[in-house]
Amino acid sequence: MNAPVRKRLHERYPELGTAPIPIQPYIDPAYYELEKKYVFKKTWIQVGRVEEIAEVGEYFVRDLAACNASVIVVHDKSGKICAFHNVCSHRLNKVTTETCGKAKKFFCKFHGWAYDTNGALTGVPDEDRFDNLDKSKLGLTPVHVDTWNGFIFVNVDPNPSMTLAEFLNPMFGGLDGYPFHQFTSCFSWQTVVNCNWKIAIDAFQELYHVAFVHGLSIANALQKDEKGNLNPLDGLCGEYHRRLTIAGNPKSVYGNPNAIAGETPAMEVDTSGRGISARAIAAAALKLGQGGTKIDLSANKMPGGMNWTQDPNWAFDINVIYPDFYLSMRPTYYQAYNFRPISHDKTLFDARVYYPEAATAGGRFYQEYMKVALRDVLLEDLSTLEDTQAAAETGAKSEMVIQDSEIMIRHQYTVVDRMIREGLTADGRGATP
Amino acid sequence: MTALPGKFSALEPLASWALKTETERNRNRLASTQSEIIAFTRAVLPLASDITAYLDALSPEEQAQEENERLMCLLLALAEVAPSVEAYQNPAVVDGYDSFRFRAQEDFKLRPKL
Repeated sequence: MNAPVRKRLHERYPELGTAPIPIQPYIDPAYYELEKKYVFKKTWIQVGRVEEIAEVGEYFVRDLAACNASVIVVHDKSGKICAFHNVCSHRLNKVTTETCGKAKKFFCKFHGWAYDTNGALTGVPDEDRFDNLDKSKLGLTPVHVDTWNGFIFVNVDPNPSMTLAEFLNPMFGGLDGYPFHQFTSCFSWQTVVNCNWKIAIDAFQELYHVAFVHGLSIANALQKDEKGNLNPLDGLCGEYHRRLTIAGNPKSVYGNPNAIAGETPAMEVDTSGRGISARAIAAAALKLGQGGTKIDLSANKMPGGMNWTQDPNWAFDINVIYPDFYLSMRPTYYQAYNFRPISHDKTLFDARVYYPEAATAGGRFYQEYMKVALRDVLLEDLSTLEDTQAAAETGAKSEMVIQDSEIMIRHQYTVVDRMIREGLTADGRGATP
Repeated sequence: MTALPGKFSALEPLASWALKTETERNRNRLASTQSEIIAFTRAVLPLASDITAYLDALSPEEQAQEENERLMCLLLALAEVAPSVEAYQNPAVVDGYDSFRFRAQEDFKLRPKL
């Protein structure tokens, strides 16, 4: 159960130190080049889910600027998931310019070279004019690909230093069994934010901002501590990844993970005299949404790795999978965000929320209510990022100070910096970025 | 011109809210005044359970008919304006990022058709 006195997170992770965090990694183009080389080109990057390419021939393409790569991920004719660089073996045009689709073959539009879904080169127009062309050696360049609980990851390193399981299991092995596959109704949004990718993630991995940035929306849906502040129940800092676990207000829709799974909370009704009670639409959505999904959510058991402090008011965990993937699961839906760097001061924020398929009009109404509320909360989260980046670039400050429960910001900076130092040392370039 | 189902003809003056995509519904919300949003909520919210009961009694083929889809979209518009009514007392998110820049992927494969 919830320990009454918990050590400060920084005391539990003394190796992370307590010094202020330098600003340079957030604003320096040269530092970003090192991140590309030693972080993004050297690790597993989450790119999608198996449901997106459920059928043979279905594919999607992800442009990974931080890896200098465009990667095709395809369900090949033998049933496997394959990944290739989107680069023709002839004169290097992209073999597809679509973002997703279904294909029997990929045809390069430049000179008509044709590739099978397993990457093999199968057709070359006017082939006789090439001398000794060995088609068997001219397939698309493969990219390492693997899946974890239905999430597809790629690694552009030709010789990955570890398998995807070795990379994820030490921190996230306890999440196996979560019913990701049941949540196939997905809403997604994208935006390019003019800020460093780490500044973007940082806004999503602490609760200190919630009372201020989300004061009008979800601040009251989370559980305050005895002093009235918002802090996580606990945090875990791993070799690469990090986790937070968070308690909610059980009388709120957002803060009660069982709100739609059979236990209707006593809604807090507003009596401020505006005529419509402040949560009247929420109450209607909850009531009409009961039992409104094609699967029976009440039968689901959550894996032991969730709510690891076993807090009775637990609402959700935040999992940040190094380097740029945010995953937060609740019993009835989950959120998955990518923060893909485009340059040192530009980030593609790709946000998705997955619900079970609705079976009734009320079920769909409830999902729309939850989805719209989440989208607007994300608009609040995004609101500070470009100002923060611009402020960082003024040079007015060379460091930032953080409090104990912002430790994930320190952890992110520290892990990235460590990977760069290790990479530079291994390349014989000295360990100073 | 297909209208709303006859049972809900009282909502006919609000039929312009019955837009098919999240993007359109959000733009309509942002183009509305708060008093228009509150008037819309006051008209539709008391009928929400009648709307879902009516739609759920239909066959999938009937649900796909234009007038019934329009009724569903009217209900989804109620969800769209909920934050304006419940959180912000304002059509847009207060001090929020530009909603037009946070683009919904309406054509994403796993997105529900409606």
